Amino acid sequence: MTPVRPLFYNIHTNYKWAEPLTYILGAVAALIFLIGVYKHIKKWRTGRNEKFPLFTKDRLISFVKFALFQGRLVCDKYALVMHLGIFLGMCVLFIGTALATIDQDVAHLVFKNQFLKGSFYLGYKLFLDVFGFFLIIGLILAIYRRYILKPERLKNFVYPTFPYDSFYLLIILLFIAVSGFFVEAVRLAATKVPWSHYSPVGNLLAGLFTSMSEHTLQSLHFTLWTLHGLAALAFISLIPQSKAFHIFSSAANVYLRNLEPAGRLPSGELSGASKIADFTWRQLLQFDACTWCGRCQEVCPAYISGSKLSPKNVILKLDNELLRFSSVKSNGVSNPNGETNVSEKKEGDKTLQETIFEPSEIWACTTCRECEEVCPVFIEQPRAIIDMRRYLVAQGIMDKILQDALNSLNRYGNSFAKSDRMRARWTQGLPVKVKDARKEQVDCVWFLGDYASFDPRLLTITQSTAKILSQAGVDFGILYEGERNSGNDVRRIGEEGLYEVLRDKNLDAFTKVQWKNGSKLIITTDPHSYNTLKNEYTIDGVVVKHYTEFFNDLIKNGKLVIKKKLNGKVTYHDPCYLGRYNGIYEEPRELIKSLGLELVEMPRNRSRSHCCGAGGGRMWMEDTAEIKERPAENRVKEAALLEDVATFVVACPKDLAMFKDAIKTTGNEGKLVVKDISDLIAEAMEIQ
Amino acid sequence: MNAYVLIKMAPDPVEELDIANDGKSLNAEFIRFKSGDPDEHSIEQALLLKEKNGGKVTVVALDAPEVDDVLYTALAKGVDRAVKISLDQTQLGSVATAQAFASFFQKEGISSDTLIMPGTQAIDDIEGETGALLAEMLALPYIGVVSGITLTNGGAKAVVVKEFSSGLRGEYEVELPAVLGIQSAEKPPRYVPVAKIRAVMKTAKIETVDLSEPDKAKILEIERMYKPEVAGRAQILEGDVKEIAAKLAEIFAERGII
Repeated sequence: MTPVRPLFYNIHTNYKWAEPLTYILGAVAALIFLIGVYKHIKKWRTGRNEKFPLFTKDRLISFVKFALFQGRLVCDKYALVMHLGIFLGMCVLFIGTALATIDQDVAHLVFKNQFLKGSFYLGYKLFLDVFGFFLIIGLILAIYRRYILKPERLKNFVYPTFPYDSFYLLIILLFIAVSGFFVEAVRLAATKVPWSHYSPVGNLLAGLFTSMSEHTLQSLHFTLWTLHGLAALAFISLIPQSKAFHIFSSAANVYLRNLEPAGRLPSGELSGASKIADFTWRQLLQFDACTWCGRCQEVCPAYISGSKLSPKNVILKLDNELLRFSSVKSNGVSNPNGETNVSEKKEGDKTLQETIFEPSEIWACTTCRECEEVCPVFIEQPRAIIDMRRYLVAQGIMDKILQDALNSLNRYGNSFAKSDRMRARWTQGLPVKVKDARKEQVDCVWFLGDYASFDPRLLTITQSTAKILSQAGVDFGILYEGERNSGNDVRRIGEEGLYEVLRDKNLDAFTKVQWKNGSKLIITTDPHSYNTLKNEYTIDGVVVKHYTEFFNDLIKNGKLVIKKKLNGKVTYHDPCYLGRYNGIYEEPRELIKSLGLELVEMPRNRSRSHCCGAGGGRMWMEDTAEIKERPAENRVKEAALLEDVATFVVACPKDLAMFKDAIKTTGNEGKLVVKDISDLIAEAMEIQ
Repeated sequence: MNAYVLIKMAPDPVEELDIANDGKSLNAEFIRFKSGDPDEHSIEQALLLKEKNGGKVTVVALDAPEVDDVLYTALAKGVDRAVKISLDQTQLGSVATAQAFASFFQKEGISSDTLIMPGTQAIDDIEGETGALLAEMLALPYIGVVSGITLTNGGAKAVVVKEFSSGLRGEYEVELPAVLGIQSAEKPPRYVPVAKIRAVMKTAKIETVDLSEPDKAKILEIERMYKPEVAGRAQILEGDVKEIAAKLAEIFAERGII
């Protein structure tokens, strides 16, 4: 007897009336599902336009890696097993069901034949049983994690769909999977086919029913079959109404993710986002793609410090607004002048910032990008936050210190409220005059950034960096008073207009540079400047390097000579804008090791480095009252736990200031010293 | 309400301030000009009044370096009109400045709801006289060092808060039109995004008014300008708290203070 898939087993013979009902209910479920999907797509389309290449090889590769195989979960093995079990289990079972449908309704009804027969059918049975088993394992792991382990990140404050969605989803899937196995088991018990061992799980369960009469088995089979079918159809029709929709929205979002360099902030409306329709369609898709996993929240320095910001909450609130409150017909962008009169507003005209967000929440972000880095579905949380900041800036709603900083940046080109003529004052007292790159020929321009230029705490470091460069024979110059703040953080504050002014002034100064040999190199000591110079200025033919990259090269090719090997254990803090934004992880490490030091990693290193708290303009804002532990303090405590490590090495001028303070406030003064890599190089080169 | 905010440009203390060779003025090479804080507060106070009561706000300034930036920024903040009087502000003293503004207002006309709001004093000469002189010339009431204004009687009167030293405050009622020297607004001056200022520069216009030179540019003559001189009378006491206290008591006794 050739194994062949039974057509409507039991139903066809004993419950024939249920056959047409199956088709009718199936069609209804499919229709409800399609209407639901259409509604989501319509919501996404209320966003502003955003153009980017839709069909590229990179997109396809990224889709396979991160959507089909959930590559972002590799660092969370539990989640990887759990979620791949559920996802691949459901995929295989869905494909299995689809094949069965085709076998029945196309092959059998149209061509009077079946392809689910013989060894192909047996392989099909085995495959489905195994993946059904994986599905159940995945679901049990998920239930255990959500309801027994209860990680804090899974807790929701906002439910864009409905409150018990996660519970519903796990239970209905578990019911579908388990009832499916029982339908199979009862059928196997009744038919006693010789190939039943190809369905190992069903066969095992069939043992429970062998003592029953054929009639009992048939009516039990019908009951289970009906429940299984109804649950499956209910699940399908409710997908767009529940969190299950992430199957589609997350997949679409992974495919359509931003593939530009992480450091290049997409431009947005100058007036910012104050209504849900002010975001682009891709951003709206991102909000809708959130799976509520909370990994972003778990790593967020603002959230950990106790501020009101949780990136998970931000996205869920926006998704909630999109799905539940925004009418599909939008009145478009809010008043372009950004002028509003609060008292005259109707409820529906209120902005996001008036209804669901507090300014302090939006201002708390350090733009460290760790949320984005850990998001399994590539949501750009900082971008959404910056768009909402733009609106606050347009309205002038900001911290007083920030306002002073922006005014100073606008007037003097730096946030220190110092005259631009004072920018190169640090060069006084150097043995050799530093070249003015705008007037003398140079091989490379050193862009210092505000902190290295003006902060008195950094004076000696800046000077020794200059000495290192001269001793290594680098023909460099600076822009003197022509240099302005690079605007990296001004842009992330949401002051796009000021960013453009600063950028244009710097570009103007760069065009005056007298490049010597056609090699155009800009080095910078500041990762924030590095990011915007490299990714957002995009000056033709110019290479931008962080000093750690540059010095590492110099040591490698022997131009920078180490006179004295250093010793001892040190740890290294990856600056956000060097590491996560630009992937420079190894150069500083190689550099530290080549000085003779032993590098001990903190548990959170490289892409998981914990932000110092100064980025995204936070250094121009006061900590709010609810802050329990500043991000830099959290980080210092992490370093203090490392055995025998007495030096905390940084590669960003802002880090130096932030961590020196944090070491004092956490009482680690005797234990840890902050040093910039330049400090260490100067020491190894015996520069005074 | 018909408010006029009067602006004066003064040297920016952030820049290096050097005495010129004549020993009577600042070295012009390094000077950059900015409006003083009281003027910025005056703009803010006028805008707050406009938001509450409606009406119109005009900023008026004499010509000075970088004054256009200040006027455009004021327009971007929501001021309705910006007027530049083509007289060189840096060459005029307080009296001549008041005369210039007085002839501006004679041309402009003063309505029953006019509020003239200069900053109470400029940060360079710290004279604080222009407002009072102007009020005298226009025969209007004057109150200086104002830190809060509420319009009453449908905008016919103003209740004004004036600050005194040692934290005392006085409340005055004054009939409009009046001249009020503003020390500080009820809220800190607002931020206006750069993009908005740039947009205003493209669309809005600064009106220019030609006036004849006042009779005498400066009444007061500066004889000498100098940086604080080191007197060498400071004495630093060293030691622990007890020792310092003992030395202090000794010095007080010596000088007959205790």
